[in-house]
Amino acid sequence: MMKAEDIMTKDVVTISGSVTVAEAVKQMKEKGLRALIVEPRNENDPYGMVTETDIVYKVAAYGHDPKKMRVYEIMSKPCIVVNPELRVEYVARLFANTRIRRAPVIKDKLVGIISISDILNKSDFVEKPKSNFDLYIEEYPNAPEARMYDS
Amino acid sequence: MIQAKDIMTREVVTVEGSATVATAVGLMKEKGLRALIVEPRNENDPYGMVTETDIVYKVAAYGHDPKKMRVYEIMTKPCIVVNPELGIEYVSRLFANTRIRRAPVIKEKLLGIISISDILKKGDFIDKPKRLFIEDEIDAARDDARTICAQKGATSKECAAAWDIVEELQAAAAHQRVEKKEKNSLATYCDENPEAPECRIDDN
Repeated sequence: MMKAEDIMTKDVVTISGSVTVAEAVKQMKEKGLRALIVEPRNENDPYGMVTETDIVYKVAAYGHDPKKMRVYEIMSKPCIVVNPELRVEYVARLFANTRIRRAPVIKDKLVGIISISDILNKSDFVEKPKSNFDLYIEEYPNAPEARMYDS
Repeated sequence: MIQAKDIMTREVVTVEGSATVATAVGLMKEKGLRALIVEPRNENDPYGMVTETDIVYKVAAYGHDPKKMRVYEIMTKPCIVVNPELGIEYVSRLFANTRIRRAPVIKEKLLGIISISDILKKGDFIDKPKRLFIEDEIDAARDDARTICAQKGATSKECAAAWDIVEELQAAAAHQRVEKKEKNSLATYCDENPEAPECRIDDN
């Protein structure tokens, strides 16, 4: 059984919400990333995220000057975060229900980022598709519904 | 203006709508792609597309077996397509308005695929942001004016000049709106037939 931490991308780049969008784009191009995590400003502050979709939909599409706009104007914050122990099937369901494609993986601190590409390329959903019932049986192997009858 | 064909990805892989989802996933992994184009079945059939989002949202999220599901069950067809000559600013606006991230580039036949990553990585919007519509110009001018007034003072000459620019743009926009007003049938008829008796304008 695969968990978020098994397929997540551990290489994450964080930026501050006050940098310009042009700077964020530069970082994305340099490191070949589609999203950057916006660090919390203090311990009570939530994590944020800025993706290439945010930049194209909110800056490029309107001809705003990326050198004059700042990340905090276009980022998603607070963003949906995933626990490293969450099973991949549930990550997929969470993404589908909330219509997101990417989320930081956080436990106490930032440990990675997980995207639909990670699910597609690294998970075993093709080889071992798991229905709700399969997931339930795996979690509760002693449930009466899990019994197998021989004859 | 950079056009869609200048930044699109030319390497496109097509898949049959009747292929299994497992085949599509195999193709995507092998070629490192995020989307496959579904070819039309005949000349009157539209193009379709299947993306990794479709597969994760509709198959993986519900634990369906990809070997038993077919591409046509989860694809987007017809999908929004882009003309190769469309400027990338318009592509960005189209994507934002329709909430899509990727579209095939088609002129008579499939030429490529364009995505928000192409726009971000190969576009020139950082160095040369372009505004398409006068409403955007007004927004930008208004922002400029506020900045200038905050720096130089609300009664300064620079502040007044900046707001003059906003006003001029707004006047131009209002003028465009008036021109766009639809003519009634008689006016259209009179434009075409200015000599007709119904179109006479009496002076007194």
